[in-house]
Amino acid sequence: MPSPQEYMLLVPEIFLASAGLLLLLFGTLLGLNNRDSAWVSGVALVLTAGLLFRVHGSVPGRLLILQGAFVLDGFSFFMKLLLLAATVLTILLSVRFLEEGKYRPTEYYALILLATSGMLFMASGYSLLTIWISLETMALASYILAGYFKHHTRSNEAALKYFILGALSSGIMLYGISLLYGAAGTVQLGALARGLGEASAAGNRLVPLGWILLACGLFFKVSAVPFHVWTPDVYVGAPTPVTAYLAVASKAASFAILLRIFYEGLGTLQVEWQGVVAVVAAATMIWGNVAALTQDNVKRMLAYSSIAHAGYILIGVLAVSEIGLWSVLFYLLAYTFITMGAFATVILLERKEYAGETCADYAGLAHRSRFLAAMMLVFLLALTGIPPTGGFFGKVYLFAAAVQAGWTWVAVVGVLTSAISLFYYFRIVVYMYLKEPTQATPVPLRAPALVAAIAFCAVATLVLGLYPEPFIQMAKASLLPLP
Amino acid sequence: MFDWVHTVPILSIVAYVPLLGALVVMFLMKSDQGGLIRKFSTGVVVLDFLLSLPLWFAFKRDGAGADLFQFKESHPWIESIGARYEFGIDGIALLLVLLTTLLGVLAFLSSWGAIRTREKEYYIFLLLLQTGMLGVFMAMDFFLFYVFWEVMLVPMYFLIGIWGGSRKLYASIKFFLYTLVGSVLMLLGILALYFFNAGGLLGWEGLGNPATFSILQFHEIGHLIPKDLQFWIFLAFFVGFAIKVPMFPFHTWLPDAHVEAPTAGSVILAGVLLKMGTYGFIRFSLPILPDGTRQLLPWMAALSIIGIIYGGLVAMAQKDMKKLVAYSSVSHLGFVMLGLFALNGPGINGAVLQMINHGLSTGALFLLVGIVYERRHTRLISEYGGLSSIMPLYATVFLIITMSSIGLPTLNGFIGEFTILVGAFDRAWWWALLAALGIVIGAAYMLWMFQRVFFGPVTNPENASLKDLSRREVAYLAPLVILCFVIGLWPGPFFKVIEQPVKYLVEKVDPTLATAAAQAGE
Repeated sequence: MPSPQEYMLLVPEIFLASAGLLLLLFGTLLGLNNRDSAWVSGVALVLTAGLLFRVHGSVPGRLLILQGAFVLDGFSFFMKLLLLAATVLTILLSVRFLEEGKYRPTEYYALILLATSGMLFMASGYSLLTIWISLETMALASYILAGYFKHHTRSNEAALKYFILGALSSGIMLYGISLLYGAAGTVQLGALARGLGEASAAGNRLVPLGWILLACGLFFKVSAVPFHVWTPDVYVGAPTPVTAYLAVASKAASFAILLRIFYEGLGTLQVEWQGVVAVVAAATMIWGNVAALTQDNVKRMLAYSSIAHAGYILIGVLAVSEIGLWSVLFYLLAYTFITMGAFATVILLERKEYAGETCADYAGLAHRSRFLAAMMLVFLLALTGIPPTGGFFGKVYLFAAAVQAGWTWVAVVGVLTSAISLFYYFRIVVYMYLKEPTQATPVPLRAPALVAAIAFCAVATLVLGLYPEPFIQMAKASLLPLP
Repeated sequence: MFDWVHTVPILSIVAYVPLLGALVVMFLMKSDQGGLIRKFSTGVVVLDFLLSLPLWFAFKRDGAGADLFQFKESHPWIESIGARYEFGIDGIALLLVLLTTLLGVLAFLSSWGAIRTREKEYYIFLLLLQTGMLGVFMAMDFFLFYVFWEVMLVPMYFLIGIWGGSRKLYASIKFFLYTLVGSVLMLLGILALYFFNAGGLLGWEGLGNPATFSILQFHEIGHLIPKDLQFWIFLAFFVGFAIKVPMFPFHTWLPDAHVEAPTAGSVILAGVLLKMGTYGFIRFSLPILPDGTRQLLPWMAALSIIGIIYGGLVAMAQKDMKKLVAYSSVSHLGFVMLGLFALNGPGINGAVLQMINHGLSTGALFLLVGIVYERRHTRLISEYGGLSSIMPLYATVFLIITMSSIGLPTLNGFIGEFTILVGAFDRAWWWALLAALGIVIGAAYMLWMFQRVFFGPVTNPENASLKDLSRREVAYLAPLVILCFVIGLWPGPFFKVIEQPVKYLVEKVDPTLATAAAQAGE
């Protein structure tokens, strides 16, 4: 029976989930408006971060609680802070967007808080069932968020596709988990690794089937090829702040469980899954980048680009080395600011929910708003991986990890596809700087929260590029144990 | 008198003055203040040039060993991976830094009349480009070098893309893509080198040194790298540098970029950017990978010679003056590469000098073509004829530069090409023979162009009223013409400044030859 002290260590997660529920309840009763709800959720997130620091400060090293179902370590701390930062940025992105539409704001913010609390549990989950349930917490809230513009068929379509495919993948994952349980007799990651090692040595056929099904579910969540097909439609159809949230926070949380499961749960099967991850990474980079080439809708292009970036991150996963691990963490950090910034710029240019999303809408942006064009340029350079931006260093470390670990061919695919990516990212640059504007009116910067988010992300992107050292140190202090 | 230069971080100052200028223009000036921006940014590069001059006087010519690289700066940067912020230049880099600051001034002056749209952005990009290029030549940390190497692509992309000619979109993205593909592959080579120096990679056991990207450290371990690894790293570097040079068959981006770029862009592209490729071979491929170099030597020589002859022949067929000059660059850079891969003293000496010469004379040619283009808005040779009677001063300058380009004695081109031929002959007589054929072709296309543009009757009435060079134009051409004569008549000081670095390089890449030469000297 877990002691009450153990629950004290869950205070941040419990606090955030309660904040979400209370916002849902009292927001409706009191009729909180958009701005108030945003403030409440922002404050709740910041307080959660404060509580996290206290809890983390009180735990030296690594601690398993709740009968080994929940782990407190540097890795979970890093991921949780990252997720909270991404959620705060999402809130900043949402304020103006919700003002324009005629949708109720309170539930929106409450759902975001609930999804985030699910993500926090994912970062700390140490048993396959804890992980699966927290994943579902996140996913159910995300399905609703994707369909939040209920009067738009696009948004409905996104939600429905996301739900059906998401449910399918969760089912597959659960099936994989049950097979692994059958083989190892446990779902707790540490014991599972030992059990699977023995079962595998004994030639148990459940083991390969189980981990492959589990991996399929994980690949679905991080939108790796060939489980990526839902991504473009969902990203395009969902309200743009939700897209940003899915592309950044949801992806980061999914990578957290992917790393945790592969490194700690399937650690003894490393040699087997490395080959699969290598092929999936290469396919993801190639398909993501090549498919992005032909996109004219900026959100769709960013969706494919997020697929491609999942491929780059998988390179770091595959290396199974110290540098591979911290480079994944560093990349997730950089990717958070870059992608949030890019989506924030898209949102600022959007009008009436979905208009203003094609490349042509960016024509002559440099004339209409020098600030926005310059910011977008920074994000696009970072996504391409050109210095001096965080995106460059992130990629360099990932490729370095692959070269060191002997996966040179994957690194070659990575560098070549990232050179290809220049072509579609710079299509927007071409429109912004090299083409004449179709309309001469300057873009007004009337949304202070959004502009602040853009500026912050751009500064963070450049700081990560010019002086990455402190952030690398942070990532290095947050490593998982290597298998 | 110049001792103070050694006590201040002079290289950082020279490198970042343009960046500071760009920030001032970006934040303090409005886009409608074209005149102010023009004057201010030109002032910045003039100041930068003046700041770089003391380097020439304070540089210790006989500095060998630890003093080979001077004006060093070293600060921690990304300690986790051992990358440091390290600057320093040897004689070769010194010449290239001075070439960069000088051509920078000329490029800015030449833009005054040509660029009238979006001036603020134009000068910001041009200033950023200066910083990027200077950083490439000054970096002594491979990682830092790579950062500058890639950063510089962005402003160049915009210079071609915004202020370029009719096919600017195509040319700019082609330039960017080609060079980016090359440099990312080079990055993998750098990483392989890095891991070999430290803990090892793939099947190769590393040396176990502290992780570093220091170029000097890589020079030290060059001979320890196993042959097969050297081969692969050499190939990775080769793609990056050869695209930049450009060597045949990677040259196809060059004519497009040159033709579409505005004059200043072409000057910097030809004058400085191409030199980064050859500089890369000098600084990295040759000294770090001597075995790789020797394994691939026949291929390198063959590609260089093909470049010389093919570039020349294609240049001869051009109808557009700028395109002709662009293809002539392919041919001239082929010479430089051939000199380098002779792997002996004269060859490398000549190659380095020819890098400078090509910067001066091709830079001048692009400026000259730009001058008539501004007046007539065409670069077709057939549109001109008999210009020598209308623009005598222009014709004189053009003739001098033409002569410099084809290597007439008393001018700089002769010294460079002759020294390269000596080196090439020493390595294999038939290399020199084929290269000499390239010189003949070079004379043919340059003189033929000169004849068609300047001699004969004035066939096109539109040319009859063309104005001769203005004072500003004379001002930016004069330094180039003077330097062509200075190097041609008095090359001693230039060879002196690169003597130690070239000796060092020959020792690294071909130790047997170096000892043989030393014995012969005794």
